[in-house]
Amino acid sequence: MRVASVLAALLGSLLFLFLVAPIAQLVVTSGVEGGMRLGTDAELRRALGLTATTATAATLLGVLGGTPIAFLVERWRFRGRAVVAAFLDLPLLIPHPVAGIALLLVLGRESAVGGAALDLGLRIVGSPAGIIFAMLFVSAPLYISGAREAFARVDPRYEAVARTLGDHRWRVFRRVTLPLSGRGLVAAAVVMWARAVSEFGAIVIITYNPKTVSVLSYDRFTSFGLREALPVAAILTVLALLPLTALRALRYERRPDLGAGAPA
Amino acid sequence: MIEARGLGARAGSFRLHDITFTVPGGAYGVVIGPAGSGKTTLLETVAGITPQTAGTLRLGGRDMQMVPPEQRGLGLVYQHGYLFPHLSVEQNIAYGASDAAAVREVATRLGAWDLRDRAVESLSGGERQLVALARALAPRPAILLLDEPFSALDPRRRESTRRELRRIHREWGTTVLQVTHDFTEAGLLGDVAILLDRGRVLQSGRPDEVFRKPASPYVAEFLGAENVFAGTARLIDANPSPADGAVESMHQAVEFRTGPLTIYAVANAVESPGYAVIRAEEVLLSLEPQLASSARNHFSGRITEISTLGALTRVSLDVDGTMLVAALTTRSAHELELAIGMEVYASFKAMAVHLC
Repeated sequence: MRVASVLAALLGSLLFLFLVAPIAQLVVTSGVEGGMRLGTDAELRRALGLTATTATAATLLGVLGGTPIAFLVERWRFRGRAVVAAFLDLPLLIPHPVAGIALLLVLGRESAVGGAALDLGLRIVGSPAGIIFAMLFVSAPLYISGAREAFARVDPRYEAVARTLGDHRWRVFRRVTLPLSGRGLVAAAVVMWARAVSEFGAIVIITYNPKTVSVLSYDRFTSFGLREALPVAAILTVLALLPLTALRALRYERRPDLGAGAPA
Repeated sequence: MIEARGLGARAGSFRLHDITFTVPGGAYGVVIGPAGSGKTTLLETVAGITPQTAGTLRLGGRDMQMVPPEQRGLGLVYQHGYLFPHLSVEQNIAYGASDAAAVREVATRLGAWDLRDRAVESLSGGERQLVALARALAPRPAILLLDEPFSALDPRRRESTRRELRRIHREWGTTVLQVTHDFTEAGLLGDVAILLDRGRVLQSGRPDEVFRKPASPYVAEFLGAENVFAGTARLIDANPSPADGAVESMHQAVEFRTGPLTIYAVANAVESPGYAVIRAEEVLLSLEPQLASSARNHFSGRITEISTLGALTRVSLDVDGTMLVAALTTRSAHELELAIGMEVYASFKAMAVHLC
């Protein structure tokens, strides 16, 4: 028993170090330089602004479309529910460049949607819109799964009681479900935002220019080598870590017991 | 009025089958059943939370098939209260009500108004039940559905809340359907008792009738009748003596044999009953032998067990190898100086024997 415990602790610690050490090393060695570069490097500043705005736009779209999907899949026991849930996870499972290629097929100039958008004067490929779609594709499933978990934590009997008290479905959602799942939904949106900020594979296929921070770090690495890529990579890491830290703070705050009305 | 005819419903893998009962307008219906019998699902089906899959449900004479829960004019109280944790106690009580004065009045009557400034998380289980009850009553629903609403209250509070609820029910003419597993509660409150088991109604009717005349030995045991004997019955000529109870002319004396015992009973028709049921409270104990007749059963037996629970004492007798249970007040048990191994006499009226 004791040997097994020691072995498990050792393996766990090694994996922990393996996961944390590269990120810590990157931020510690190049974080300061990255911060200073922000003052002088206009391209980095532009990439940072572009990444933040496109990730925010993608997250907004994800929340608007993903919340009803998550609620329906979680609450409605319809036939084929498992299949719908499985399809929603698909974008998480395919390699991201493949996701980019698939998006190119649907949104590219030759495609019906891309062509129609072009006719309306909206270029998707090679524009911020393309970045938003790529981010949305790869990160919305994370929001949906987080939102489903948030809804699952709200006992449907709260909603049942609210309905018997005279509220129709939508009013119950607004007055009961949303306040009770709000914290979980915000957490899911933050995870989605961080994932969108970090996306590279799908973006690089659909929009190389203008560059997001992830594409810029890759560009600097291939054009100028590791030294030039490091500060950009460090900035990207910090940008992705910020909301996640905020999320942790949110999670560990006191949260109400949503399991049942009974005292613990 | 709550009227279910052949009502069916499905909640997950659980099903309600062919549920038929009526709770007249302004009456108090009590649903009794063991855990997992479908009591809560039945309330949720009446509330429209669980969709009905068969039959008809009428509330106040109106068919409810297409009516959503918010338009059924009913209140629902779950056992655990389900108070909204993001709202204050006062906001909870006022959630569905439009009249602030009515909210205050009903909450005060139930003793929930004093809790209004407390945080929901700080309330005890019993306090949650009071608030949930006030919340459901505040909009003055025509029908009130209650799922073990007094289970977490201490005995004194339970008694006063039950009394107040009964008063409100009478004043407002609210039709109530309450789930309980407490038979005493069913007897105290109910105008109609509905016995539920494994998603089906075993029996429904006036509580005293259901208690005294269970439709099957299963119902009898389920309702806590200790003496359920299997055997055979036959009519006998002799009529029970009129002095021993109002025997209607239709009633006939019946002799019921179970093992070595012969039990006299009265029945208005013997449709080959296979069981005799005698509630323990109907069995009297004495130290002296008494005269046996076809109107009164009389046996001698040896005490094998005495168990006292508060004011009530249960005494098990071995009567020729058959166990007979008598329930008497603890005081009487003391007066008789009962002890295990003692020989005593047990008697019960033929009228107290229910054949099914």
